[in-house]
Amino acid sequence: MASGYDRALSVFSPDGHVFQVEYAGEAVKRGTCAVGVKGKDVVVLGCEKRSAMKLQDTRITPSKIGLIDTHVCLAFAGLNADARILVDKARLEAQSHRLNLEDPVTIDYITKYVAGVQQRYTQSGGVRPFGISTLIVGFDKGSDVPRLYQTEPSGIYSAWKANAIGRSSKTVREFLERNYKEDMDREATVRLAIKSLLEVVQTGAKNIEIAIMAPGKPLALLPVEDIENYVKNIEQEKQEEAAKKKTGRTPGTGTAAILTKPQSDTEQ
Amino acid sequence: MSRRYDSRTTIFSPDGRLYQVEYALEAISHAGTAIGILAKDGIVLAAERKVTSKLLEQDTSAEKLYILNDNMICAVAGMTADANILIAFARETAQDYLLTYNEDIPCEQLVRRLCDLKQGYTQRGGLRPFGVSFIYAGWDPQRQFQLYLSNPSGNYGGWKATSTGANHASAQSLLKQDYKEDCSLDEACGMAVKVLSKTMDSTKLSSEKIEFATVGQTKDGKVYHRLWSADEITALLKKHDLAKDETAEEK
Amino acid sequence: MYDAPTMEVLLGITGKDFTLIAASKAAMRGATVLKASDDKTRALNKHTLMAFSGEAGDTVQFAEYIQANAQLYSMRNEADLSPSALANFVRGELASSLRSRKPYHVNLLLGGVDPITHKSRLYWLDYLAALAPVPYAAHGYAQYYCLSILDKHHHPDISLGQGIKLLNLCTDELKRRLPIDFKGMVVKAVTKDGIIDIEFDDDKVVHAA
Repeated sequence: MASGYDRALSVFSPDGHVFQVEYAGEAVKRGTCAVGVKGKDVVVLGCEKRSAMKLQDTRITPSKIGLIDTHVCLAFAGLNADARILVDKARLEAQSHRLNLEDPVTIDYITKYVAGVQQRYTQSGGVRPFGISTLIVGFDKGSDVPRLYQTEPSGIYSAWKANAIGRSSKTVREFLERNYKEDMDREATVRLAIKSLLEVVQTGAKNIEIAIMAPGKPLALLPVEDIENYVKNIEQEKQEEAAKKKTGRTPGTGTAAILTKPQSDTEQ
Repeated sequence: MSRRYDSRTTIFSPDGRLYQVEYALEAISHAGTAIGILAKDGIVLAAERKVTSKLLEQDTSAEKLYILNDNMICAVAGMTADANILIAFARETAQDYLLTYNEDIPCEQLVRRLCDLKQGYTQRGGLRPFGVSFIYAGWDPQRQFQLYLSNPSGNYGGWKATSTGANHASAQSLLKQDYKEDCSLDEACGMAVKVLSKTMDSTKLSSEKIEFATVGQTKDGKVYHRLWSADEITALLKKHDLAKDETAEEK
Repeated sequence: MYDAPTMEVLLGITGKDFTLIAASKAAMRGATVLKASDDKTRALNKHTLMAFSGEAGDTVQFAEYIQANAQLYSMRNEADLSPSALANFVRGELASSLRSRKPYHVNLLLGGVDPITHKSRLYWLDYLAALAPVPYAAHGYAQYYCLSILDKHHHPDISLGQGIKLLNLCTDELKRRLPIDFKGMVVKAVTKDGIIDIEFDDDKVVHAA
């Protein structure tokens, strides 16, 4: 048993754990899932969205995807209120960077900054760590290379081709590992992001949020109808595959079948 | 074993929860019910008073409803002393914004500033979270009439109709049942007293047991907010046949 | 700290659904023109533009500080400040600067279109933190030559074309009367759709009588 080393804020236990940080990781896992996928010259963020209750005012309910600056976008999993504070700090840093350096932040820089803040909250007196992981995406000024980073409550940050955070992120990440291809176009990147989310989001398009970033363009949020089309398309493909499996070998149709986990019949 | 994670400041439990915040929510579920309903031409807030006494000065001792600034009011559920701190902060924030920009603070911003403060108390040194939920009603030029709910964790959301405090679950399902899109402020007021009458312990209401406030717009487009007087509340209750039978009690 | 009017020209004209902002292109130090393509304006957000004149160095420093704050507000709140709110914010910053050890010496015109009502707005501010909402405005010596022209010809509901014609009347008079060459004008218009650069003929020669 941890015998007290997890009660004081963020101190080492004799076997070298910082329990508060690990527990913050658990808070992340309780949050809704978010994915990021890089394409050739595009990067996509996808989020699982809790369905709005009937009486909720849909104009207002805050999103899990937010802009840090016009060219940097962040999605998070974990405690909403914590995220608001961290995002606000990042936005301040981004504008302060513009003012002082006359250049917008690079994605790498702002990721390090966010991770730095998170690290500080694991080592300062009297605070608990941020209970969130983030995915930070965007394009550096004048660059066509998509960037995708992840930060964690511990302050660790890392660069990815595609990754997931939050609830069932392991399942989604494994799915991405199996299905990721280099140099995908916009269409394929969005499709992969949605498809990976569908691994854990059972309720389809209305619970998915997709944001797309392309070099020099403002953040584009994919309309619900478009997401619906993708979802329908993906479901259809899955059914066809399932049918194929039942009938045994069928003549190759030419489309490369993407391996997916067999889906249960309960799906809509 | 969970006692180890709930006896001191707000820290994570092994499964990533913040017990202090959850307990604060628990505290709120003992408080008087408060509800808010968004209508197409205004908003109504109504709340159940827990402290009632014939000796209490009714018009000057508000327990549940407060004015935040010229465009916003709120209802509180939870520890009133905590609420007072937050309300003072909100009022100062609103005036500070007015001083800087010569415009009223947009509703969501005021809510967010308050929630940022609440969040701070769930993360920083040795403090317990604020044990209050708020329902905010306000108007701003960008989004017109708006209704918000915030809780001790520092989360907030926008609502068409919402409730907090004791019996909020049953209040919420009543609201869900009765809410009509694009209802008028009058209808919303009626719905508010009906819901309160069903969620409160006593079936017959009286003006000393509830507080009532509305945000609306005058004919020339000016936004007003108003805390109702006891007489007005009594009149409303009579209109909806929910008033306590005074003569019966005297017998 | 009285300051003599400058030869830097700032002009602002509001119309039906736009605000025009114009600033001279000469960057001067004493009697020397250092640059003939200076842009003395900064966009604060999608529909607010600020033009500045005054002490070299102070002007850009202050304008970019305001710009950064306006953009920070937009990012944080996912909504832009209105021209009116920005003008009051700038006035506040100037007022506290004025009472500091080293005040900014900056005169400003702040123009734009309200994002909600779509009404055109123009504000005149000076380094003493005076603020006035106005239908048209000028800073520096240009005030002496242009305000009378604008008094006579301006109407609140002029079109953008008419606004540009008015601006031409003003610059003609400036070319006629000012003792220096201000190297033409940068002209921008703010409409509900954003800030657009306006082609402006700087080459016209005007002779004094």
